[in-house]
This record gives sequence, structure tokens and C-alpha cells, in this order.
Amino acid sequence: MALTIISLIKQVPLPNEMRMGDDGLMDRTKAKSIINIDCQFGLEAGLQLKKHYPDARMIVCSMGPGSFESALKTAISMGYDEAYLLSDRKLGGSDTFATGLAISTMLKHLGFTKDSKEPFVIFAGRQTSDGDTAHVPSQVAENLGIPQATFCESAKPDDKGNIVAKRIIEGGYQMLQLPMPCLISLTPTGIPPRKPSLIGAIKARNAKITVFGVEDIHLGTEKIGLSGSPTIVAAVANIESERPPIVMSEGITETALVSSLIANIKKGGNVLQHKEVKEKAEKETPDFPVIDTREDNKHILTWVEIVNGQIARPSLELFTPARHLAKQLGSETKIKTVLIGKNVAHLSQTLFEHGADEVILVENDTLEEYLVLPFSDVIAQIIKKEKPEIALFAATTAGRELAPRIAVKTGSGVTADCTGLEIGEYVNRKEKTIIRPILHSRRPTYGESKLATILGFVYPQISTARAGTFEVPKREEGRTGKISTFTPELVADDFRVQILETVRGEGGLQNLFDADVIVAGGRGTTVDGLHLVKELAEALKAQGIKAEWASSRAVVDEGYAEYARQIGQTGKTVRPKVYVAIAISGAIQHIAGMKESGTVVAIDHNPKAAIFRNADFGIVGEYLDVVPELIERVKQGFTFGVEVKK
Amino acid sequence: MSNTNTVSTDILIVGAGPAGLATAIRLADLLKKNGLERRILVVEKGASVGSHILSGAVIRPDVLKELLPETDFSEYPFDAEVSKDGLLFFLNQSVSIQSPLHPPGMSNKGNYTVSLGQLCRFLATKAEEKGVEIYPGFAVSEVLYDTNGKICGAKTIDTGVNHHGKPLANFQEGTRIEAKITVFAEGTRGSLTKTVINKFNLQAGKNPQVYSLGCKEIWSVPEGRISAGETYHTMGYPLNLKEFGGGFIYGLSNNRVAVGLVVGLDYADPTFDIQAAFQVWKTHPKVSKILTGGKLLEFGAKTLPEGGWYSLPKTYTDNALIVGDSAGFLIMPALKGVHLAIRSGMLVAETALEAFTKNDFSENTLKEYEAKINASTIYKEMYPTRNFRQAFAKGLIEGGFLYGTQLITGGAGFCGKLDVHTDADATKKVADFHGKPFKKRFAGQLDFDKILTFDKVTDVFYSGAHHDEEQVVHLRVNNPANYNTVNIAQYDAPCQYFCPAEVYEIHTDRDGHKELRIHGENCVHCKTCDIKEPGDGISWTTPNGGNGPDYQNM
Repeated sequence: MALTIISLIKQVPLPNEMRMGDDGLMDRTKAKSIINIDCQFGLEAGLQLKKHYPDARMIVCSMGPGSFESALKTAISMGYDEAYLLSDRKLGGSDTFATGLAISTMLKHLGFTKDSKEPFVIFAGRQTSDGDTAHVPSQVAENLGIPQATFCESAKPDDKGNIVAKRIIEGGYQMLQLPMPCLISLTPTGIPPRKPSLIGAIKARNAKITVFGVEDIHLGTEKIGLSGSPTIVAAVANIESERPPIVMSEGITETALVSSLIANIKKGGNVLQHKEVKEKAEKETPDFPVIDTREDNKHILTWVEIVNGQIARPSLELFTPARHLAKQLGSETKIKTVLIGKNVAHLSQTLFEHGADEVILVENDTLEEYLVLPFSDVIAQIIKKEKPEIALFAATTAGRELAPRIAVKTGSGVTADCTGLEIGEYVNRKEKTIIRPILHSRRPTYGESKLATILGFVYPQISTARAGTFEVPKREEGRTGKISTFTPELVADDFRVQILETVRGEGGLQNLFDADVIVAGGRGTTVDGLHLVKELAEALKAQGIKAEWASSRAVVDEGYAEYARQIGQTGKTVRPKVYVAIAISGAIQHIAGMKESGTVVAIDHNPKAAIFRNADFGIVGEYLDVVPELIERVKQGFTFGVEVKK
Repeated sequence: MSNTNTVSTDILIVGAGPAGLATAIRLADLLKKNGLERRILVVEKGASVGSHILSGAVIRPDVLKELLPETDFSEYPFDAEVSKDGLLFFLNQSVSIQSPLHPPGMSNKGNYTVSLGQLCRFLATKAEEKGVEIYPGFAVSEVLYDTNGKICGAKTIDTGVNHHGKPLANFQEGTRIEAKITVFAEGTRGSLTKTVINKFNLQAGKNPQVYSLGCKEIWSVPEGRISAGETYHTMGYPLNLKEFGGGFIYGLSNNRVAVGLVVGLDYADPTFDIQAAFQVWKTHPKVSKILTGGKLLEFGAKTLPEGGWYSLPKTYTDNALIVGDSAGFLIMPALKGVHLAIRSGMLVAETALEAFTKNDFSENTLKEYEAKINASTIYKEMYPTRNFRQAFAKGLIEGGFLYGTQLITGGAGFCGKLDVHTDADATKKVADFHGKPFKKRFAGQLDFDKILTFDKVTDVFYSGAHHDEEQVVHLRVNNPANYNTVNIAQYDAPCQYFCPAEVYEIHTDRDGHKELRIHGENCVHCKTCDIKEPGDGISWTTPNGGNGPDYQNM
């Protein structure tokens, strides 16, 4: 059989953290764009698969302006053979729904459908740095009707013609077996992308890139572009980050210094301030007629994720925005929560007590573990029956692939990873109407430097809410609600993907991105091989904090930490709630990797160290003296002001 | 060695600097004129053309008119015509005097300030239009030899290997480039050029090449500090009379200014630190009054071959030619090499045309290159100052006297060819150096405020330097067995001081044991370590293609 390996890539401006300087003067983004980093990992995964299928046909596809040809040429120089670009002005302003539709239509045009006789595997990046939605891979898979595994670290063939993918999930991973054809999206923790070869670059120079317009692939214009997309970006605000002046700990002994630190942190206040910068004055609302476009779409639907038989915390957090929206919409609006699983009915009471008005129960032995195909199918069936006005999902790895896949089935738009959800209105100046009420989904984008407000015009309006952003609402003991059961129609095709193994507890280095507290050791901590740094992180973990240890480049160079733990310009960029920098001098290269952290606590023996200029709380002291005291206090319950979550 | 990994070309040009691009442009034109079709392939280790290019630069534009006669002069990306050209003597850290007149050969009348990187990008576009294939982002790490031991091309570096060279999952074998003619246009202290010079003994009978290191910063300064085209050169402080070198201040458009300090690498103090001396130089009131209130935009460092005529190697061998800085074409008092690099490229192109016409790529034909050099302006400009640098190796006063006699005698001085030591040999052992060590000399002035003056790591940040994590460290200590006993114990490891990018660090553990640590990721590809480290030295080899600094306007 002749396998075809297809990679979907996007060209993006050089991400924020890779730019030079922070004063804007060295901003080189105008000149530079790259293949989105996650997509580069997708490209490499495709090339890795080719090792097992040396005769595989290698195709790379993209959608965007003509300038994207340079990204496609880079892909060819890495080892791809054919390149296709979907480029048409009519596609301008397409949201993820429209993009997923357009790309899948191009793939169908190229002969890749779920019924293709020849097998194929599609690789994509998890998400793009300029959009951060992670929707398009799921939506392409749904449009093609093929199985998917998103957020994967690796994808290897087995000897039966399947792909075995390692999918990253909260606090662990899952091994999934997928039949071909299928789609895999890659996280940037897989095998790093290879460098182009000169012979490849020579091939790319002469390679012809096939450019399709919308008409070439017989894609109608009703569902693409700005007018065809179910969502629009209504507003974008810049976020300016400012760090207040540092508060230094006072005291002569280590005990006093650490006590002073704890007191200062308790006082609070010192945390990276995000300020919205309004670019233009708000226009006055004109006197247009107000219309309500909801028709018979009512109520708010949420899905509750079950992990190891327990309700996942982010699903409970969801009740906070859900209740808020319900209140804004009026008392008739109910919160209906979909509960899917095996023997899960007993969890309903907890859901009522956190704010659900109705639990839609789907109990089925085959639905014990989450899988995107059957779950998206079931929830879409419920949505079609219930016609909710809004559907909310927690932006977990499950929620972020489920919501876009459902949205394709319901024709809705999705807003990913929201940090704010409000009911508002939309002033349509063209048609001179005001649509009210409408969901305003607000989400940070462009490396957290901008806050976009997204509106959806197709019901249900679907959004995913960033985990950890909203508080779990206070439990109202004894609050009850209605339980209704739903019997879905399940098809065998939904169970094409098998879970081979689920491992939780060791998240690997993905934890660095999820950690609430990162304890980072610099050169001065090599005296004990970072022993105390690791111990501090462990002590925090023992307190129930998502903590991880990391290091500066000097430590990696000296062999005390693996490169994957390196924070900084040439390492990782992290944004934990608290960053504890120990014996890190604060070279500009290191600052680039951690300056977006919420609160920075710096400990260094040199009072003139640059790190203190980029921190909120500081202790001047010796590593070997201060840190043991700190560990002791953590053991007694000090968690740097981070709330302990279970 | 599979065919799928080999590419054939008629001519391979290693390096897309002014010399390599001039070779390509001129050859493309000559081939076309003669109705010949040949493949011209240029590989460049910088991520893009110009990203590894650093020069002052004030250049003489005449040669460009010959290179691109059809191009209108206004198309060139020059910054400004030199409007004012001053020479300042810094007597000490606060006093200076302006020289009323320039030594001959140093006048910049009719010259232009330019970002050489921008000029190279411009030349690359012109070359591509003429059918030249330019591949930036690829580093050649190996010269290929045929069965007779003659050069037959070069190979790009294998990528996707770990620190020990072991292939990783994303391993990509380098590409073999087989070429009838290989032109080494690697710039100063070319790493392949060096192996070729050694293998074919091309330096025989010549002085060794000697170098200077230049550190440069571009600043954005408040309006009115300096106008575009206003240029100054400084002599004296912070250098003493035994150290050769000086500073430059070039006013650029858009309220920018390029400042730099160039220091001869034949200094004796093993702890001398040019990047730090440059920072000290910036605090001189003549400089600081221009920079204060401004912002650093870019930093870079590069060496310059200064040996002059007597240090030129034999510039050809069978199937290969050497051009530009790799050969050492630079006129010393004026510190100018760009126009000579371009000229040498044009002469190589003419030589290559003859070789293609005769289908003979042996020395027999390629030796014409040397004859062409001798008949060209390269000779006319370089020969009169052939003893300049050697004279100044003896110090500023004696050198000034010797240079004076050279001016009278047409370059010979009173003793014919002056000899010179390699820069590495000029480095003295700590015990043998009787002057004030660098840190004592500038005590109290080496705490950099990160406003006007910068530590090395911060400067490196502003060079845009980047290196792939997974690769073999591209800086190699030639004889690790002796490094501790000779270089550290006797010389205090000069690399930790002279490297302008803090690549080298001496790590002292709790027992007082010292060890060299190499942070290759900081490297700005200046090659000083390859030149200046005493003992058995350090070899600079090329890292992965696309690695290194990312100069925009250097």
C-alpha cells in the first residue's frame, strides 16, 4: 500500500518571546515569519513516519496569503515532496470553523476522504502561536470524518497498519491506537524538527507549489471568509504588563528573612499587572432597533469531564461563568450539565450543589472513558435536541478537542480558552441593528499580549474556559435539580480508536507549562547539584501545589539539568503564577523566558543582581542558608500565596 | 556516500559576503557575455545573507560601478555620504585633541557610510537576478578532495547530532557539493580556508596573517547628537602606546550612530579584554556625550586581517581560489577591505571564466588570478602600506616613525620587509608580562551600568546570536591535555578575557581546581579564539547553518 503523509502548516510571525529586546526597537517581526513551532513538530513527525514507510508520498499543505509559499518551501527542504497552498482573498477573515472547512475541502479535492482506498495520515501542530485555539486539527478531522489524536508527543506505526499516538493529558499521557486514515496533532515536546538539508533546499528552490483558489476546489463562499464565519473578532485590546517595584525582605537571620518574605507575600499586591490599553475611544451606541436572534435556543449547556470516576475540577469551575451568564440572561435560563460515563449518576448531586439546574445523564458501559469520537457524537445529539443558547466546556485537553469537533457538527463557531465570559450586544452598523443578548467571549492571544473579544452568531455559542481562571463556586449543600436521561445513537465507527494505556501522575516536562509554581535554580545552586531546589519543588507538591523545578542555562551547561528544563531565550518561556528564582543573576536572556510570570520571588546573594529588577519579592542571602528555611516553611503550609487545589 | 545526497555545480562559492557575491555577479555576467552556461552556487552559513556581516563601514564606492555598471547609483542601500571626517586623539579618559590633518590614505572624502549587511543583501538580490543560486543557512564544514588529493568541493555539516556527534532521531546528513572550482570567500580567518592553506602550504614564505578585533554597537540617539555622514576616528585612550588600534564613530540616518573599537590582537597582556576596553572607551566624554540618553540597538564583533601585502597567502591551488578577507585583502591605515574584497571577487570571476573556456581548472590556469591581482588596484593600494602593520607591532611611537619613513620611501621603510609574529605568539605568559594587567589598569571602570556600558552577555543578546542546542560544540581546544598546565596555569586562559561574547569561562570548583567551560551558544563568529589563544590554541569550526549572530544593520 502506498501511504500518503500530509502535513498541515501555518506561517506565523516570529512569536513574542523570540523577538529581540523588550523596548520595541529591535522588533523584527515585520521582516520575519516562521513555520509555526507546533507545525514544525508535525512536519518532523511526518518525516519520522516516513522512516517506516520509505515510499510514502509526502505532501505539505497550508492556507494563507502567497507569502506562505516560503514556509511550504522550507517544508520541502526538510523532506516533503509536494506542496499545496489554498490562497484566495475570499478566505480573508475566516475563523477556525471556516479554516477547518476550507482545508478539509482542499484535502478532499486532492482525493483524501475517509473512503480513500489508499491510506493517509495527516499531521498538524497542536495550535498556532498567533491564534492559540487548537481548533483547526479537530475541525479538519471532523470535516473529513476521520479519527484524531490531538496534543500528541509522538506517533509511531504498529505492524498492523495503525498509528500509535502518545497523547498528553492533564498530569499524564494516554497511548491511543488509531486506524488510518487519521489526523495527529503534535505538541512541541516531540522530536525536534530537523534542519533543512542543502539538497532539500535546492529541490525546494525549483519546486512548484500548487496554489488553489476557492473555486479550484469547489468550495462555496457561503461558509468562508469574514462573512461566512460563524464568529467574528469584535474587539482587540492590548495588554500592557507592568511589574510594581520589588519588596525586599528584611531581617538578619534566615528565619527573619523568610518570615519577612511570607509576610510580604501575604500582604499581596505585588504581582504582574495586566492593563488593558484602549486603542480608540468607544463609540456611542447608536439608536438602532434591538433584535433578539435566539429564537427557540435557550439555556446553557455544560459538559462535565470525569477523570478516574471523579469530576475534574475545571468542570466545576465552569459553573462560575455559567451562573454569571444565566443571571445576566434572566431567571428563565437554566444550566444543563451533560454527564457521560459508566455508573456516574451519583455525581449528579455534586453538580446540583455547584450550580447545575439539570443533569442530562448518559450512562453507557462503552462510554466509561473519554474518547473524542463518541463523546462529540453524543453531545452533538444532545445539542440538536436541547437547542441550548450557549455551550461551555472547560479548556482541558479533552475540552479543547471536543468543542471544535462538536461545533463542526452543529455549524457553530467556538472561542477557545476564554478568561472572560459576559453577555453583551453587537452593533451591526451595516444592517443598522443591535443584536442583544449575545455572548462576549474574551481570550488572551498573541502570547498574552492582546485580549480579543469574540462573538458567535450561530447557536449554540460555544466557548471553552481556561482551566484555573474561574473559582469553583461555593457549594450549596442540599441544592437539587432535575435529572433527565438521554439515550444516544452510537455507531461502531465511533469506537475505531482504542485506548491502549492511560498513565497519570507523571506528566513529564509538559508540567513546566502547567505548573503554578516554578522553582528555578541558577549557577549558585550547583554547589549541591540543585538538591535544595528540587526539594523545595517537592515540598510544594506535597502541599498539593502544581510545582516543578527548572534551571538557568548555566546549570544546563554544567550538566546538572536537562536542556528541557532550561528557562530563557534559548529554552522555554513559562508563565507560572509564581516563579521562584534562586541564585539566578538575571541575565537578559533568562528574563526573556520568565518575565510574564505572575509573581517573581528572587533569592540571590548579590544585592545588585539584575534579577531583583525583574522581581516582586526579594531576599538577599545565600542559597544554602535561605532555601532550607524556606522548605521548612513550605512544609508548615506556606505556598507562596498560591491556593491549594485538589 | 549516496548520490541522493550529492549536488554538482560548476563553481561553488563558500560565503555570501562582498567577495563571494562579487565573484558570483561578475562571473554570471562574463559567462552570459561569452555565451556560456554554468551553474554558480553560493552557500552562506548565516541564517540569511548579511546576518554574519559586520563592518564599520565607510566604503569606497567606485568598484561597485564596475561590478554593476547597469545599476543606477541611487539604488544602492548606502546610508549617507561622508560629510565630515575627523580624527581625534584621546589623551586620557577625559581629554582629547582633534588632529588638524589626516595621514594620507585615511581620508574618507567621497566615501559612503553603509551597513555592509544591507549592501550584501542588495548584491545577493542582483546575483539571484542573474541566475546565481544562493543558499543561506547552510554551513560547509569539510573540504572534499578527489583521489589525487585535489579540492573537488565541500560538504555541509551533518545536523541532528548530540554533543558527542551521535545521530539523533532528526539526523540529516550533510550534502556533498561537487564543484569544478571552489572559491573560499568565508571572510576573516575562514575555517575551511585555514585547512586549505595548511594542507597546500599556501602561507610558505609569507608573513603569518595578523588580525585586529573590532567590537561594534549601533545606537539610537536623541536628535541632534550627530548627523548622518559625520565620521570620526579616535586614537589613544583607552589603548596605550604599545597597543595598536582605535575607535570609530559614524553618524547614520534616523538618529543612529555606529561606534566601535578596533584593537590589534598582537597585544601582550594575556588578560586584555577588548569588549571591556570598548565599554571604557564609550565613557570618554567625546563618545558618551553622543550616546547618553540613547539606546543600544545592536552589538557585534569581528576580526580583520591586517597583515597586509606580505601576509597574503598564495591565493590559488588546483580547483580552488581564495578571495576577500579570507585571503587578507585589506589596506591597513584606512582599515578598508570591502572594495578590495569586491575587486578580488571580480578577478576570480575573470580567472574562472578562462578556466571554463579552457576547461582547465588546474593551477596552470588559476594562477592567472595572482597576475591579475598584481596588475590591479589591489596591488596599487596594498603595496605602499606593505610594512604598515608590522611597524606598528613595535608600538605607536616607533611605529609612527617607521610608518613615516615608509611614507617617504614608498612603503619599504629603511629595512625592506618587516617580519611579524602570530598574534597568539605575541601573548605573554602572566609571569612574563610586566605591564599593568588589564583589570588593574581599568580598576573601578569595569562595573558596567547596562545603560551606557554593557557586560558581554547583554551585548551578546543584542547580537541576536543563537545556536542549536543539539550539536557538537563548535569550538575545540586543540590539545586538552595541556590546556590546564599551559593555558590556564601559565597564561590565565586568555580566551576568558579576549572573547567578546563570554563563550569561555574558567570554572573553579570548591577544591580550587580550574576547568575551561565553553558556552558555544554565545559565539558571534568573530574567530578571535582561533587567532589569539596561545599554546596549542583553540580551533573555531562552523556550527550548524543558520546559527550565530543575526546582524541586521551591521
